Amino acid sequence: MFRYQSLEDCPLDEDEDAFQTLGEEDEDIDQFNDDTFGAGAIDDDWQEAHERLAELEDKPATARELEDGAVSDEMELLGHHEENLAERLSKLVIENELEDPAIMQAVQTQPPMQQPGGLNSSIWDGSAVLRRFRGPLLTQEMPSVSVLEYAMPQRPPQSQEDDRDLSERALPRRSSSPIIGSPPVRAVPIGTPPKQATVPNFNQQNSSLLGHPFPPSVTPVFTHLQRAQLLGGAQAGRMSPSQFARVSGLVCSPLTSMNPKLLQGRVGQMMPPASRFRAFFGAPPPPAPPPSQQQHPLCPGSHLQNLRPHPQVFRPDTTHLHPQHRRLLHQRQQQNRTQHRSLNGSAGDRAGHRSSHHEQLRKDPYANLMLQREKDWVSKIQMMQLQSTDPYLDDFYYQNYFQKLEKVSAAEEMHGDGPKKERTKLITPQVAKLEHAYKPVQFEGSLGKLTVSSVNNPRKMIDAVVTSRSEDDETKEKQVRDKRRQTLVTIEKTYSLLLDVEDYERRYLLSLEGERPALMEERKQKICDMYDNLRGKTPGQERPSDDHFVQIMCIRKGKRMVARILPFLSTEQAADILMATARNLPFLIKKDAQDEVLLCLLRPFSLVLYHLPSGTVTSLLQQLANLPQSATVPAPANLHLAAVLQNKFGLSLLYLVLSRGEELQNSSAAVELMQDNQWTELMSMATRELLRIPEAALAKPVSTPSNLLSLFSRYVDQQKLNVLETKLQLVQGIR
Amino acid sequence: MNYMPGTASLIQDIDKKHLVLLRDGRTLIGYLRSIDQFANLVLHQTVERIHVGKKYGDIPRGIFVVRGENVVLLGEIDLEKESDTPLQQVSIEEILEEQRVEQQAKQESEKLKVQALKERGLSIPRADTLDEY
Repeated sequence: MFRYQSLEDCPLDEDEDAFQTLGEEDEDIDQFNDDTFGAGAIDDDWQEAHERLAELEDKPATARELEDGAVSDEMELLGHHEENLAERLSKLVIENELEDPAIMQAVQTQPPMQQPGGLNSSIWDGSAVLRRFRGPLLTQEMPSVSVLEYAMPQRPPQSQEDDRDLSERALPRRSSSPIIGSPPVRAVPIGTPPKQATVPNFNQQNSSLLGHPFPPSVTPVFTHLQRAQLLGGAQAGRMSPSQFARVSGLVCSPLTSMNPKLLQGRVGQMMPPASRFRAFFGAPPPPAPPPSQQQHPLCPGSHLQNLRPHPQVFRPDTTHLHPQHRRLLHQRQQQNRTQHRSLNGSAGDRAGHRSSHHEQLRKDPYANLMLQREKDWVSKIQMMQLQSTDPYLDDFYYQNYFQKLEKVSAAEEMHGDGPKKERTKLITPQVAKLEHAYKPVQFEGSLGKLTVSSVNNPRKMIDAVVTSRSEDDETKEKQVRDKRRQTLVTIEKTYSLLLDVEDYERRYLLSLEGERPALMEERKQKICDMYDNLRGKTPGQERPSDDHFVQIMCIRKGKRMVARILPFLSTEQAADILMATARNLPFLIKKDAQDEVLLCLLRPFSLVLYHLPSGTVTSLLQQLANLPQSATVPAPANLHLAAVLQNKFGLSLLYLVLSRGEELQNSSAAVELMQDNQWTELMSMATRELLRIPEAALAKPVSTPSNLLSLFSRYVDQQKLNVLETKLQLVQGIR
Repeated sequence: MNYMPGTASLIQDIDKKHLVLLRDGRTLIGYLRSIDQFANLVLHQTVERIHVGKKYGDIPRGIFVVRGENVVLLGEIDLEKESDTPLQQVSIEEILEEQRVEQQAKQESEKLKVQALKERGLSIPRADTLDEY
């Protein structure tokens, strides 16, 4: 600003008073005295020169106003002052021939601005880029832009005003120090239609994807802020929201500035997001820009409307507007309001709540204090935080949840006519895993390597020796506690193995062909380890004691874990587990009184039972009844069995076993079972016990298999059968 | 424009009226104007709402800048449903009075409790006065 003012200062020594108010901000102006920027360069009459200069300077003045002040403009301007001055002085001679200020503007080239920093600083060097884009923007001006020229307050139509209101020149200053509480006032007031909504020649790889700029007839009314934001968003690697519609993947752009090399790898993956991305805006993917012109303004326009307000009709800030400008402003506002309303209406489902939302935003003069580029910046940071080398590891629940959702929607799609709703999905950036080879710190000139301990290179600091406590010192309590702790540790280890084994399916799908046998081997090994853990490792072949297993089963987590492990075990191993459980069932029942988790075992047990041969079933029943292998004199009351019957799990398990036996009997292999004395004996024992036990003490099983009735009918007479029927509620009708 | 679907991102919440609960128990209601990556908030036309029983009172506070770590939760206020509340708005003086009374009652009961425990030989360690969760 002070630039051109200083220029004016040179030839206008006489009028210094008038310009003092303008120059008061910058003491630096004194530096640029007449000698340096001498009057010698100017040939014209100072008044003429002043007028032309004022016209000329209005264009770069507004360009200056676009800056948010984030960059220290003043220093830059100072630095480039001389270049600009020289150019402008030369222009003063040329410009006589050109009448249209717009064309003149195009001729003037902007001085190359230094780009502070590299790609990473792209957030904040918007101002420099803005200026750069100023030129190409204007080369493509459409007729509507001529309205813009009239809209500029600093340059009212020449036909109208001869005496310039100098106080209007002061207005641009306010943009740098806005009145507290009110939104920043720009030199070009909010509501001014932009010159051009989009710039096609962004110097990015996305250029191929860009469509046409908005056709003038559908240019939405952008506020000045919006325009600044648009252009501000158009920086190295980052696009304004209107560009997002065309660029595939929101992720692409914010990350490009951070990880350009990733982009190549990502391009292939961008296509699915692109199709989703288009769906964001509810527009079908445009086959080619021209046919989609109707929709393009719709998409960004409507969402931009979502974000940007249309200012109130009467605002104190706009009092300085030229009346013609004000009129035009209202006209355009109304025009576009109706336009967008109709467009919104045709948009379908987006119209609903959004239009009311728009209304509110329109009335809110404080909206969009947070600029679009700032939102993008925060969004970019958030996306960076989501970078992960192994999303399945880092964010398991999120991944699982969305996989489930996708499955559901895919299933729906199969049934329905087509995709009902494009669910917008967040595409998190995936970073390739980098192998880091640790290199120890080396200093030049030193002998050998320094042993500096760091997180990548831990070094032992303390020589700690682990001493195990001697047995004598321990009390019984401590022993018990230690044993329990041991069990807990075993459970944890086994659980980790279990989670790994459960995950193999997914890994299998992701792995290559060659790796799969190795994966299978690993899996098998882990299953074996799990089983060993469960039963307690023994040096020999036999597993004499159930103690280890029972300890695990006393803990709630252990029971649940066993239920989860069972599907992975082989039949023999599973049968073994079943036997051990049956053998110790009363004890387990007693321990389970508080947890009541045994029931979770029923389902896997029943699955296992289904595969068991008859001999095993018999032994199982034996275990349940707690009879030794050889038949002995049956005790008057079988406590073991009694306890089993009184527990829900026990009774259910018994029923399952009996039912399975019955099934086997009915099948071809049943012949053996029928002839098996043991089975008969066991059955009679079971029925005896069932008869003996009072009905009140009998537990309620989870489910009563239907074939029990036929089973019992084989072994007991009619009278007892009736008793059993009523007691056990075997007949469906009673229930 | 859909910012980060499927995540808890505050960008969509900008320029909307929010209710923010702070760690020290204060309830702020204001228009969310700006955020950053730490969820620091800039609230505009903020009102501190004090609730006592079925009554509440609003103290206009202006612009708040809240450090993100002090936010317990925040949620958007549906402007249509905002007036649809069984609570009764009272004046500031009244609500402050009510609050004082409530605090006093609480302190009394706390004192009695501590006394009772002391008689039984027990003591509850006092919470750190700086952080009141």
